[in-house]
Amino acid sequence: MTIQNPESGDFRRDEVIAGEYVLGVLSAEDRRKVEARMVLDRSFAAMVGRWQDNLSSFEDEYEPVVPPARVLTMVERRLFADAVSSAPAAAVSGGFWNSLVFWRGLTLAAVIGMAAIGTINSGLLSGSQGGKPLVAELSGEGSTSINLLAQYDGESGALRVVPVAARQTEEKSLELWLIVGDKPPQSLGVLPQTGKGEIIVPQAMRAKIAEGATLAVSVEPFGGSPTGSATGPVIAVGKTRSL
Amino acid sequence: MTIDDISTLIGRISLRDRAAFSQLYKKTSPKLFAICIRILRDRNEAEEALQEIYVKIWQRADRYATGETSPMSWLSAIARNHAIDVIRARKPVANTIDEAYDLADPSPDPEKSALNSAEGRRIETCMEQLDRERAEAVRKAYVEGLSYQELAELFNVPLNTMRTWLRRSLLKLRECMDQ
Repeated sequence: MTIQNPESGDFRRDEVIAGEYVLGVLSAEDRRKVEARMVLDRSFAAMVGRWQDNLSSFEDEYEPVVPPARVLTMVERRLFADAVSSAPAAAVSGGFWNSLVFWRGLTLAAVIGMAAIGTINSGLLSGSQGGKPLVAELSGEGSTSINLLAQYDGESGALRVVPVAARQTEEKSLELWLIVGDKPPQSLGVLPQTGKGEIIVPQAMRAKIAEGATLAVSVEPFGGSPTGSATGPVIAVGKTRSL
Repeated sequence: MTIDDISTLIGRISLRDRAAFSQLYKKTSPKLFAICIRILRDRNEAEEALQEIYVKIWQRADRYATGETSPMSWLSAIARNHAIDVIRARKPVANTIDEAYDLADPSPDPEKSALNSAEGRRIETCMEQLDRERAEAVRKAYVEGLSYQELAELFNVPLNTMRTWLRRSLLKLRECMDQ
């Protein structure tokens, strides 16, 4: 196979470096350089990913060895030791939305693509590339708040928000907000208390839910915010991305 | 154990589900431990590495995207990368990626090309097209995490020859897999 691309020299060199990285033959310093480039250069990262997939069948050579039980004990001690001591956060009221401290302190959305999302198919999202369904994991600070998994199907307008480990048990409602750019948050609706429901996003709002938009959840009086803007503490926030 | 199981577990871990984490550990740690033992060649170090690896898995679960890569190879990559980082730190090797690469021009091989199917091909088929020793070097580099220096000693060739072997082999594999 001949390569006609005039830049093929660099391209081929990149392929080789990506392959060397996956093989593991590079020095520690070179490995850091490769990883830095993967962050900045998506097509290079894709090369690395492709090698990873291609070569992974060599892993059949690793005969499984059950590790001693103490390893898991140590791992869990390291990961979960401090989790027991923290108490649920008290609700903070008023002005929270605009608080800089809030924005700074917030663990910004870890965005995920989960196998479970596979159940939403053919989600055509107008205006978003590839018409893929969107998903966002919304997470609050530490272990004190709740985590939510939001799945949006643009075709039906169904936005499904599943609270994970909800801790707010009073007569409060969770309200979902959409933030596009610097615009003020707009309500998408109140989440059903059952924890497994859907919000049908109003037609007018659907076009606004695109990749990169932010979803946030606030704690509001039962039935939703009385004012039309978030009044309670924002307990979770996350950016959407295509699956 | 299906791929979907593991991928679901990783998804649940990203939502901080500890039960899912210990389930994933039970299902996958024998494989990842094997990787550590093979690359580090020391059981105590392998245990220590395995700890670090599962801490990373917990921390990075939210970066796993279904569809981009198989969940098992995502996990293995975390394990291999960690183990290789440990040995490269323990036994430094020369930096190479800023030097010139002797890649030569790929020579079209009509005979072999004729065998190619339209589909992307499996690595094993492409490995068969490499010289036996070079294929073995590629495999050993991956499975045991050997450096160029170690490979050169093992195959009894000069260091630069080994670099050229592996780099050209990678190109041939890439071209073969892409056909």
